[in-house]
Amino acid sequence: MISDAIRNKNRAVIPYITAGLPDLETTGEIIRALSDAGAAAIEIGLPFSDPMADGPVLQKASHMALQAGFTMEGLMENLEGWTSSTDIPLIIMSYINPIMRGGMKETLESFRGEGVQGVIIPDLPADARDLFNLCRGIGIDLIRLVAPTTTVSRKKEVISGCRGFVYAVSVKGVTGARTALPEEVSSQVKAIKAMTDLPVCVGFGVSTARQVDDMLAFADGVIVGSHIMAVIMDAPDPVKAAYDCFRELGME
Amino acid sequence: MKGYFGEFGGQYVPETLIPALDELEQAVSDSFRDEIFWDEFSSYMRDYVGRPTPLTCAKRLSAHYGLDVWLKREDLNHTGSHKINNAIGQILLARRMKKERIIAETGAGQHGVATATVCALFGMPCAVYMGTEDIRRQHINVERMRLLGAEVIPVESGTATLKDATSEAIRDWVTNVDSTYYLLGSAVGSHPYPHMVKMFQKIIGEEAHSQILEKTGKLPDAVIASVGGGSNAIGVFSAFIDDPVELIGVEAYGRGNGKNGASINFGIPGVLHGARSHLLQDTSGQVLDTHSIAAGLDYPGVGPEHSYLSTIKRASYRLVDDSQALAAFRLLNRLEGIAPALESSHAIGYLEQYAKEHEKTTVIVNLSGRGDKDIHTVLEEGL
Repeated sequence: MISDAIRNKNRAVIPYITAGLPDLETTGEIIRALSDAGAAAIEIGLPFSDPMADGPVLQKASHMALQAGFTMEGLMENLEGWTSSTDIPLIIMSYINPIMRGGMKETLESFRGEGVQGVIIPDLPADARDLFNLCRGIGIDLIRLVAPTTTVSRKKEVISGCRGFVYAVSVKGVTGARTALPEEVSSQVKAIKAMTDLPVCVGFGVSTARQVDDMLAFADGVIVGSHIMAVIMDAPDPVKAAYDCFRELGME
Repeated sequence: MKGYFGEFGGQYVPETLIPALDELEQAVSDSFRDEIFWDEFSSYMRDYVGRPTPLTCAKRLSAHYGLDVWLKREDLNHTGSHKINNAIGQILLARRMKKERIIAETGAGQHGVATATVCALFGMPCAVYMGTEDIRRQHINVERMRLLGAEVIPVESGTATLKDATSEAIRDWVTNVDSTYYLLGSAVGSHPYPHMVKMFQKIIGEEAHSQILEKTGKLPDAVIASVGGGSNAIGVFSAFIDDPVELIGVEAYGRGNGKNGASINFGIPGVLHGARSHLLQDTSGQVLDTHSIAAGLDYPGVGPEHSYLSTIKRASYRLVDDSQALAAFRLLNRLEGIAPALESSHAIGYLEQYAKEHEKTTVIVNLSGRGDKDIHTVLEEGL
């Protein structure tokens, strides 16, 4: 269970990595390294040609993974090996089109069949009720995002169609490290927690141990993506780099 | 469901934008019911844009093809294309919504110029995202935008064309959502954009409808328009949709080697830039690289209403390649003294195929823009 995996950690940090960078085999090794390093869960981003919610680092990661030959077929061949190599939940982050291309139901069932526990879709349809029900039937958690702009009534709607955890987006904008995060994050997270028993994790913009500490003062978990990917992309040994980078974000 | 044309359309956007789309939807709904809004729109159309545009009888072109061809002269609008209709409409909305800053994407630069123009007219800051490949081939329009006081922001990601400029404009919008109005240039994107843009471009069809009746005493047999995102086409089609008139959209076939902009002909339904419609994509759901000599048609998606009209067979979507469009560009210059935009040249270019199957029929071709911006490209290909 994703929600238990987060609750059971004092310091729940969820790293995000782009699948297929530098290749699918190394992605598997990075998953094991991050698991060994103490990740609460791992968010595996599927590369997409047009990642409109992502900043420069994850755009570049997506582009490089596609250049390196990432395909859905290749992913499906590797997923089971990844999920069985670790005890922590693996969550897939994908724009909706690659999931839709193979059929929403079929693709999500395949993810579940290979042991994936949750899915995050940054461009879900505004009315995602049918998709939520589909995920619930399949037994995969649909993790929804709540933005700083989300109204109270919309929050209710999103949270009622969400499982695993609520993903609180810290900033208005795209993914990528920020030197300072807005002060409103804390009240935003508290407002969400007042509405649900699900864990609430903060993502977008987090890149330092200090920021992780700040967020964990009020949130149940933190997602770190662009920072880790920037390090992985620049490193001669991406597996070791991922491990070291994650450890530098702080221990339990 | 809200904002769908059959199974196409919808709102597939980052959660941050949902309230912005709700706000826009409310503004659209309030303004469209308000006569004062439409009075203001009409006065700008008449006194600033120069509407109504003529419906020109293309006598020598008609004789050439054995048809009765009428050209709807959107090239004669201020700024040289139909894009200004939508830009005026949306900036009036943005002002009502008290937005402080305007952003836009552009391919051929026509929408960028139209947006920069209305921003100058109303004294608003303007940023236009444009792919570096398009900046190269549509350089005149880049200089025009800068003269108008707009900031042109080069986009190097992906194929550095319209699709990438659109993604970058969306990223800006997500970041500056409170202050910024996204003035989208085609009948694409999330609800309510496709509906709203159609309502502003509908003026093309309404004028053409009454003009053709006045001039010929009857409805045309067909209406032909080029389709990239599809705003000029949906604008002219919409007034004839309930009439027994054949509606023909013309998609860009590129060099005919697999890379093209013909989403309805070769695409599979998918989601790009916030809506579900026909999309050029591979088996993994990655969006394919496109090519057209016309930057405004060099786009892998299409407006959701076109996907719908195609599915219910109310409109058909045909192919014209780069060389056929170039031939049409030259032909219209020589026969009618009109230089069409390379986008519009695709619609003219379809007459060659159409004339093989029809005799003496009456057709309206929407000449969506003028071709001054393309002379450089045409010269590169050789006169």
